[in-house]
Amino acid sequence: MTQRIRSKISRGSGELAILSLLSEQPLYGFEIAKQIGERTGGALKFTLASLYPLLYEMEKRGWVEGRWQANSAGRDRRYYRLTPGGRRQLAPLRAEWRSFFQALDSLAGVSHA
Amino acid sequence: MPDWKKLVREHIASSALSAASREEVVAELADHLEETYEAARSRGLTDAAAFELAAQEVSDWRSLVKEISRAKEENPMNPRTRSLWLPAMANLIAAPGLLMILQKLAVQPRVLWIGDTAMVLYLPWLVTLPIFGAFGALLAKRAHARSVNRLIVGLSPALAVLGAFALVLPVSLVVDSHRLRDFPFAYFALTIFNWVVLPGLGLLIGTLPFLREPNRPAPSEA
Repeated sequence: MTQRIRSKISRGSGELAILSLLSEQPLYGFEIAKQIGERTGGALKFTLASLYPLLYEMEKRGWVEGRWQANSAGRDRRYYRLTPGGRRQLAPLRAEWRSFFQALDSLAGVSHA
Repeated sequence: MPDWKKLVREHIASSALSAASREEVVAELADHLEETYEAARSRGLTDAAAFELAAQEVSDWRSLVKEISRAKEENPMNPRTRSLWLPAMANLIAAPGLLMILQKLAVQPRVLWIGDTAMVLYLPWLVTLPIFGAFGALLAKRAHARSVNRLIVGLSPALAVLGAFALVLPVSLVVDSHRLRDFPFAYFALTIFNWVVLPGLGLLIGTLPFLREPNRPAPSEA
Protein backbone atom coordinates (compact mmCIF):
# COMPACT_ATOMS: atom_id res chain seq x y z
CA MET A 1 0.00 0.00 0.00
CA THR A 2 1.52 3.28 -1.00
CA GLN A 3 1.71 6.28 1.29
CA ARG A 4 -0.72 8.14 -0.99
CA ILE A 5 -3.39 5.45 -0.69
CA ARG A 6 -2.91 5.20 3.04
CA SER A 7 -3.23 8.95 3.37
CA LYS A 8 -6.47 9.00 1.36
CA ILE A 9 -8.00 6.25 3.44
CA SER A 10 -6.95 7.90 6.64
CA ARG A 11 -8.30 11.23 5.48
CA GLY A 12 -11.62 9.74 4.38
CA SER A 13 -12.05 7.87 7.66
CA GLY A 14 -11.15 11.02 9.58
CA GLU A 15 -13.83 12.98 7.79
CA LEU A 16 -16.44 10.33 8.52
CA ALA A 17 -15.40 10.11 12.18
CA ILE A 18 -15.57 13.87 12.66
CA LEU A 19 -18.86 14.31 10.82
CA SER A 20 -20.42 11.44 12.78
CA LEU A 21 -19.32 12.86 16.12
CA LEU A 22 -20.44 16.37 15.31
CA SER A 23 -23.82 15.09 14.14
CA GLU A 24 -24.44 14.25 17.80
CA GLN A 25 -23.28 17.52 19.36
CA PRO A 26 -20.92 20.46 18.83
CA LEU A 27 -17.42 19.75 20.15
CA TYR A 28 -14.07 21.52 20.29
CA GLY A 29 -10.86 20.09 18.84
CA PHE A 30 -9.43 18.39 21.91
CA GLU A 31 -12.81 16.80 22.70
CA ILE A 32 -13.13 15.55 19.11
CA ALA A 33 -9.73 13.86 19.29
CA LYS A 34 -10.44 12.47 22.75
CA GLN A 35 -13.85 11.04 21.89
CA ILE A 36 -12.63 9.48 18.65
CA GLY A 37 -9.82 7.78 20.56
CA GLU A 38 -12.09 6.59 23.36
CA ARG A 39 -14.98 5.42 21.21
CA THR A 40 -12.79 3.46 18.82
CA GLY A 41 -10.78 1.90 21.61
CA GLY A 42 -7.72 3.73 20.37
CA ALA A 43 -7.94 2.28 16.86
CA LEU A 44 -8.38 5.76 15.44
CA LYS A 45 -6.13 8.34 16.96
CA PHE A 46 -5.97 12.01 16.13
CA THR A 47 -3.07 14.15 17.14
CA LEU A 48 -3.12 17.92 16.91
CA ALA A 49 -1.15 17.67 13.67
CA SER A 50 -3.64 15.35 12.01
CA LEU A 51 -6.82 16.89 13.38
CA TYR A 52 -6.66 20.64 12.73
CA PRO A 53 -5.67 20.67 9.05
CA LEU A 54 -8.61 18.32 8.44
CA LEU A 55 -11.01 20.41 10.53
CA TYR A 56 -9.96 23.61 8.75
CA GLU A 57 -10.31 21.93 5.37
CA MET A 58 -13.80 20.70 6.27
CA GLU A 59 -14.65 24.18 7.48
CA LYS A 60 -13.49 25.65 4.19
CA ARG A 61 -15.70 23.19 2.32
CA GLY A 62 -18.63 24.33 4.43
CA TRP A 63 -19.17 20.98 6.16
CA VAL A 64 -18.46 22.22 9.68
CA GLU A 65 -18.48 25.63 11.30
CA GLY A 66 -16.22 26.72 14.16
CA ARG A 67 -17.30 29.32 16.70
CA TRP A 68 -15.59 30.58 19.83
CA GLN A 69 -17.70 29.94 22.84
CA ALA A 70 -17.06 29.74 26.58
CA ASN A 71 -17.48 26.32 28.16
CA SER A 72 -19.02 25.65 31.57
CA ALA A 73 -15.71 26.56 33.24
CA GLY A 74 -15.69 29.92 31.44
CA ARG A 75 -12.83 28.90 29.18
CA ASP A 76 -13.03 29.96 25.53
CA ARG A 77 -13.08 27.06 23.10
CA ARG A 78 -13.64 26.89 19.39
CA TYR A 79 -16.66 24.63 19.07
CA TYR A 80 -17.32 22.92 15.77
CA ARG A 81 -20.84 22.12 14.66
CA LEU A 82 -22.14 20.35 11.61
CA THR A 83 -23.59 22.57 8.90
CA PRO A 84 -26.49 21.47 6.67
CA GLY A 85 -23.86 20.84 3.98
CA GLY A 86 -21.92 18.57 6.32
CA ARG A 87 -25.08 16.72 7.27
CA ARG A 88 -25.73 16.07 3.59
CA GLN A 89 -22.24 14.57 3.25
CA LEU A 90 -22.71 12.15 6.11
CA ALA A 91 -25.16 9.63 4.60
CA PRO A 92 -23.31 9.09 1.28
CA LEU A 93 -20.00 8.95 3.14
CA ARG A 94 -21.34 6.26 5.45
CA ALA A 95 -22.74 4.30 2.51
CA GLU A 96 -19.44 4.58 0.68
CA TRP A 97 -17.45 3.24 3.63
CA ARG A 98 -19.97 0.45 4.17
CA SER A 99 -19.60 -0.71 0.58
CA PHE A 100 -15.83 -0.29 0.82
CA PHE A 101 -15.66 -2.64 3.81
CA GLN A 102 -18.09 -5.08 2.23
CA ALA A 103 -15.91 -5.18 -0.87
CA LEU A 104 -12.79 -5.65 1.23
CA ASP A 105 -14.53 -8.32 3.28
CA SER A 106 -15.57 -10.30 0.20
CA LEU A 107 -11.99 -10.11 -1.01
CA ALA A 108 -10.03 -10.69 2.15
CA GLY A 109 -12.53 -11.70 4.83
CA VAL A 110 -11.44 -8.79 6.96
CA SER A 111 -14.55 -8.81 9.15
CA HIS A 112 -13.58 -12.26 10.47
CA ALA A 113 -9.93 -11.43 10.90
CA MET B 1 2.93 25.81 33.21
CA PRO B 2 4.55 26.18 29.77
CA ASP B 3 3.55 29.17 27.66
CA TRP B 4 1.80 27.23 24.89
CA LYS B 5 0.74 30.31 22.96
CA LYS B 6 4.30 31.52 22.75
CA LEU B 7 5.45 28.09 21.59
CA VAL B 8 2.81 27.82 18.86
CA ARG B 9 3.28 31.45 17.76
CA GLU B 10 7.00 30.86 17.26
CA HIS B 11 6.34 27.83 15.11
CA ILE B 12 3.69 29.32 12.88
CA ALA B 13 5.25 32.77 12.53
CA SER B 14 6.35 31.87 9.02
CA SER B 15 2.86 30.91 7.83
CA ALA B 16 1.10 32.78 5.07
CA LEU B 17 -2.00 33.25 7.20
CA SER B 18 -3.48 36.68 7.81
CA ALA B 19 -2.76 38.15 11.24
CA ALA B 20 -6.30 37.52 12.48
CA SER B 21 -6.34 33.97 11.19
CA ARG B 22 -2.92 33.28 12.68
CA GLU B 23 -3.96 34.49 16.14
CA GLU B 24 -7.02 32.30 16.00
CA VAL B 25 -4.93 29.27 15.06
CA VAL B 26 -2.42 30.08 17.80
CA ALA B 27 -5.19 30.26 20.39
CA GLU B 28 -6.79 27.03 19.25
CA LEU B 29 -3.61 24.94 18.96
CA ALA B 30 -2.21 26.30 22.21
CA ASP B 31 -5.46 25.39 23.88
CA HIS B 32 -5.21 21.84 22.55
CA LEU B 33 -1.63 21.47 23.78
CA GLU B 34 -2.51 22.90 27.15
CA GLU B 35 -5.38 20.50 27.59
CA THR B 36 -3.22 17.55 26.53
CA TYR B 37 -0.64 18.65 29.10
CA GLU B 38 -3.24 19.11 31.84
CA ALA B 39 -4.82 15.71 31.13
CA ALA B 40 -1.40 14.07 31.40
CA ARG B 41 -0.68 15.89 34.66
CA SER B 42 -4.01 14.83 36.10
CA ARG B 43 -3.09 11.22 35.28
CA GLY B 44 -0.08 11.64 37.52
CA LEU B 45 2.65 12.29 34.97
CA THR B 46 5.49 14.56 35.94
CA ASP B 47 5.72 18.05 34.54
CA ALA B 48 8.47 17.02 32.11
CA ALA B 49 6.66 13.85 30.99
CA ALA B 50 3.40 15.75 30.46
CA PHE B 51 5.24 18.38 28.44
CA GLU B 52 6.90 15.66 26.38
CA LEU B 53 3.53 14.02 25.72
CA ALA B 54 1.99 17.30 24.58
CA ALA B 55 5.00 18.04 22.38
CA GLN B 56 4.52 14.67 20.65
CA GLU B 57 1.22 15.97 19.26
CA VAL B 58 3.26 17.62 16.52
CA SER B 59 6.25 15.83 15.07
CA ASP B 60 6.86 18.22 12.19
CA TRP B 61 5.81 21.84 12.71
CA ARG B 62 6.91 22.92 9.26
CA SER B 63 4.66 20.38 7.59
CA LEU B 64 1.77 21.28 9.93
CA VAL B 65 2.13 24.97 9.13
CA LYS B 66 2.07 24.17 5.44
CA GLU B 67 -1.05 22.02 5.78
CA ILE B 68 -2.87 24.58 7.90
CA SER B 69 -1.97 27.39 5.50
CA ARG B 70 -3.31 25.36 2.60
CA ALA B 71 -6.48 24.38 4.47
CA LYS B 72 -7.15 27.91 5.68
CA GLU B 73 -6.17 29.60 2.46
CA GLU B 74 -8.60 32.46 2.19
CA ASN B 75 -10.69 32.35 -0.90
CA PRO B 76 -12.38 35.62 -1.86
CA MET B 77 -15.17 33.73 -3.57
CA ASN B 78 -18.07 32.33 -1.61
CA PRO B 79 -18.90 28.62 -2.13
CA ARG B 80 -21.89 29.33 -4.40
CA THR B 81 -19.81 31.53 -6.70
CA ARG B 82 -17.06 28.94 -6.80
CA SER B 83 -19.26 25.90 -7.31
CA LEU B 84 -22.11 27.30 -9.39
CA TRP B 85 -21.70 30.72 -11.02
CA LEU B 86 -18.10 30.41 -12.09
CA PRO B 87 -18.35 26.94 -13.70
CA ALA B 88 -21.66 27.97 -15.31
CA MET B 89 -20.01 31.09 -16.70
CA ALA B 90 -17.14 29.03 -18.12
CA ASN B 91 -19.60 26.67 -19.77
CA LEU B 92 -21.68 29.58 -21.04
CA ILE B 93 -18.63 31.01 -22.74
CA ALA B 94 -17.25 27.72 -24.06
CA ALA B 95 -20.34 26.17 -25.70
CA PRO B 96 -21.62 29.25 -27.59
CA GLY B 97 -17.98 30.14 -28.28
CA LEU B 98 -17.56 26.97 -30.31
CA LEU B 99 -20.77 27.71 -32.20
CA MET B 100 -19.44 31.16 -33.09
CA ILE B 101 -16.17 29.64 -34.28
CA LEU B 102 -18.04 27.16 -36.48
CA GLN B 103 -20.07 30.00 -37.94
CA LYS B 104 -16.90 32.03 -38.57
CA LEU B 105 -15.43 29.00 -40.31
CA ALA B 106 -18.55 29.02 -42.48
CA VAL B 107 -19.61 25.55 -41.43
CA GLN B 108 -22.94 25.14 -43.12
CA PRO B 109 -25.90 24.21 -40.95
CA ARG B 110 -28.38 21.61 -42.02
CA VAL B 111 -31.76 23.20 -42.66
CA LEU B 112 -34.85 21.12 -42.03
CA TRP B 113 -38.19 22.39 -43.19
CA ILE B 114 -41.15 21.57 -41.01
CA GLY B 115 -44.14 22.96 -42.83
CA ASP B 116 -43.09 26.46 -43.73
CA THR B 117 -40.76 26.79 -40.75
CA ALA B 118 -37.05 26.20 -41.09
CA MET B 119 -35.06 24.45 -38.38
CA VAL B 120 -31.34 25.29 -38.51
CA LEU B 121 -29.17 22.51 -37.13
CA TYR B 122 -25.43 22.91 -36.53
CA LEU B 123 -24.76 19.20 -36.31
CA PRO B 124 -21.02 19.42 -35.53
CA TRP B 125 -21.88 21.71 -32.62
CA LEU B 126 -24.69 19.51 -31.35
CA VAL B 127 -22.38 16.51 -31.41
CA THR B 128 -19.84 18.27 -29.17
CA LEU B 129 -22.39 19.35 -26.56
CA PRO B 130 -21.98 16.26 -24.31
CA ILE B 131 -18.36 17.35 -23.90
CA PHE B 132 -19.48 20.78 -22.70
CA GLY B 133 -22.03 19.22 -20.37
CA ALA B 134 -19.29 17.03 -18.91
CA PHE B 135 -16.89 19.98 -18.74
CA GLY B 136 -19.32 22.14 -16.76
CA ALA B 137 -20.40 19.34 -14.43
CA LEU B 138 -16.78 18.37 -13.79
CA LEU B 139 -15.81 21.96 -12.94
CA ALA B 140 -18.73 22.14 -10.54
CA LYS B 141 -17.89 18.77 -9.03
CA ARG B 142 -14.32 19.82 -8.44
CA ALA B 143 -15.65 22.86 -6.60
CA HIS B 144 -17.70 20.51 -4.36
CA ALA B 145 -21.04 21.47 -5.88
CA ARG B 146 -24.16 19.50 -4.99
CA SER B 147 -25.68 17.26 -7.67
CA VAL B 148 -28.41 19.74 -8.51
CA ASN B 149 -25.84 22.50 -9.05
CA ARG B 150 -23.71 20.20 -11.22
CA LEU B 151 -26.80 19.57 -13.32
CA ILE B 152 -27.52 23.30 -13.60
CA VAL B 153 -23.92 24.02 -14.60
CA GLY B 154 -23.87 21.21 -17.15
CA LEU B 155 -27.09 22.44 -18.73
CA SER B 156 -26.32 26.14 -18.32
CA PRO B 157 -25.92 26.98 -22.05
CA ALA B 158 -29.40 25.58 -22.77
CA LEU B 159 -30.87 27.10 -19.61
CA ALA B 160 -29.50 30.52 -20.54
CA VAL B 161 -31.24 30.37 -23.93
CA LEU B 162 -34.43 29.20 -22.25
CA GLY B 163 -34.16 32.12 -19.84
CA ALA B 164 -33.70 34.55 -22.71
CA PHE B 165 -36.78 33.16 -24.46
CA ALA B 166 -38.77 33.26 -21.25
CA LEU B 167 -37.89 36.94 -20.98
CA VAL B 168 -38.37 37.87 -24.61
CA LEU B 169 -41.72 36.17 -25.18
CA PRO B 170 -43.78 37.98 -22.53
CA VAL B 171 -42.08 41.30 -23.29
CA SER B 172 -42.74 41.02 -27.01
CA LEU B 173 -46.34 40.04 -26.33
CA VAL B 174 -46.81 43.06 -24.10
CA VAL B 175 -45.11 45.46 -26.50
CA ASP B 176 -46.89 44.09 -29.56
CA SER B 177 -50.09 43.04 -27.86
CA HIS B 178 -52.15 43.84 -30.96
CA ARG B 179 -50.21 41.10 -32.79
CA LEU B 180 -51.08 38.44 -30.26
CA ARG B 181 -53.57 36.86 -32.67
CA ASP B 182 -50.87 36.46 -35.33
CA PHE B 183 -48.08 35.44 -33.01
CA PRO B 184 -46.15 32.53 -34.56
CA PHE B 185 -46.39 30.12 -31.64
CA ALA B 186 -45.46 27.11 -33.81
CA TYR B 187 -42.29 28.88 -34.93
CA PHE B 188 -41.51 29.81 -31.36
CA ALA B 189 -42.01 26.25 -30.13
CA LEU B 190 -39.79 24.91 -32.90
CA THR B 191 -37.10 27.46 -32.06
CA ILE B 192 -37.19 26.39 -28.43
CA PHE B 193 -36.91 22.77 -29.48
CA ASN B 194 -33.98 23.66 -31.75
CA TRP B 195 -32.01 25.87 -29.34
CA VAL B 196 -33.07 24.59 -25.92
CA VAL B 197 -34.36 21.01 -26.01
CA LEU B 198 -31.90 19.52 -28.50
CA PRO B 199 -28.79 21.20 -27.01
CA GLY B 200 -30.14 20.43 -23.55
CA LEU B 201 -30.28 16.73 -24.37
CA GLY B 202 -26.73 16.80 -25.68
CA LEU B 203 -25.51 18.61 -22.56
CA LEU B 204 -27.44 16.23 -20.32
CA ILE B 205 -25.70 13.20 -21.82
CA GLY B 206 -22.34 14.66 -20.80
CA THR B 207 -23.57 15.85 -17.41
CA LEU B 208 -25.17 12.62 -16.17
CA PRO B 209 -21.98 10.70 -15.30
CA PHE B 210 -20.97 13.49 -12.92
CA LEU B 211 -24.18 13.60 -10.93
CA ARG B 212 -23.78 10.43 -8.91
CA GLU B 213 -20.91 10.79 -6.51
CA PRO B 214 -20.19 13.63 -4.14
CA ASN B 215 -16.73 15.02 -4.59
CA ARG B 216 -14.50 14.12 -1.69
CA PRO B 217 -11.56 11.86 -1.01
CA ALA B 218 -13.13 8.46 -0.72
CA PRO B 219 -11.92 5.01 0.07
CA SER B 220 -12.99 3.75 -3.33
CA GLU B 221 -10.61 6.26 -4.90
CA ALA B 222 -7.74 4.65 -3.10
